[in-house]
Amino acid sequence: MLDIALAPMALPLKEFTVGDTIRVTVSFKYAVAVDTTVTIKAGPYYRDFFGTHMVGTCVGQTDVPLTATTTLTPQTADVDFLLIPKATGGIDNGTYGLRVWVEDTDAMSEQDNIIIVSGNASGGLDLSGILPMVMMLMMMGMIMPMVQQTGEGA
Amino acid sequence: MELKTMALDLGVIKPLQVGGDSPEYPAGWYIDPITGQRIFYDPNTQSFYTMAGGVFIPLGYMNPSPKQVAVGPGEKLKITISYKYSGPSITGAIEYFSIGVYGTFGFDEKMTAKNTRNLPASTTPLPYTGAYTFTIPDNVASNWDDIYCKIYGGGVPQTLFGYEDCLLIVGKDPTISDFEITDFAKV
Repeated sequence: MLDIALAPMALPLKEFTVGDTIRVTVSFKYAVAVDTTVTIKAGPYYRDFFGTHMVGTCVGQTDVPLTATTTLTPQTADVDFLLIPKATGGIDNGTYGLRVWVEDTDAMSEQDNIIIVSGNASGGLDLSGILPMVMMLMMMGMIMPMVQQTGEGA
Repeated sequence: MELKTMALDLGVIKPLQVGGDSPEYPAGWYIDPITGQRIFYDPNTQSFYTMAGGVFIPLGYMNPSPKQVAVGPGEKLKITISYKYSGPSITGAIEYFSIGVYGTFGFDEKMTAKNTRNLPASTTPLPYTGAYTFTIPDNVASNWDDIYCKIYGGGVPQTLFGYEDCLLIVGKDPTISDFEITDFAKV
């Protein structure tokens, strides 16, 4: 007999435009001794050399009431979040991961590189890319006169 | 209120034969065919040991649990054990039940209970079951999620068996599992 265990299918890559609202559906099982409410949050993230970074301005949340039960009970929930344009402090064009988590618990689910964001205007002057070079030139500008003065005094 | 149950099988138990038959294995090192680990057999205790830092440690008796039972404060949890016994009649064998926390330094028992029973003489392994019902206290912690049981006393060689992470302790904070994204789309 051939026994094959099928892994859950990965979420598909999808394209969005800034200004879109994305609805994330999650499923889970829970058990709790008293009626309570949990907050589920969702949003895009990216990874770089320094780690994982949520795009905080685009994180959405919803409150989900949980009825007391001592047996693991299936539950689903929807969380909406808005792709705020970069011009207003939001998300840049690019590819992002999607993370959903339940606040104050260890429950978390994420998948890398499944959200493609576009629609931010490419015009305008973006100084952030050349900022390191500008800083270096400024430092050289301060150091060079000091070095020249030292040489003249000798 | 629903009664939750957890069953453990201790397997076949043989009595120690003082001055009787030679042990099943001579003392020495063996290779565990399943894990490939080097293990030491001591015929006096009829147990296998592994060695770490110069100390002989009884080979693990804890096992992955076949199921997880959710229980909360005030609820009742019935633990059932089963085993087979053959040998001379035994008076005062003890069936021992424990709920607690299993970790690097062993099993930290939080709740214990025991039954005493007699086992009749038999030349063939006869099946037995034992059970104890615990009431989960209000001060139960979420990490009291392990169970082990043993039978010993009256000439029965101590036999242990346990399950790790077999309980899901339900408290005022929600316990969440199988959390996953099922879909995402523009709305």
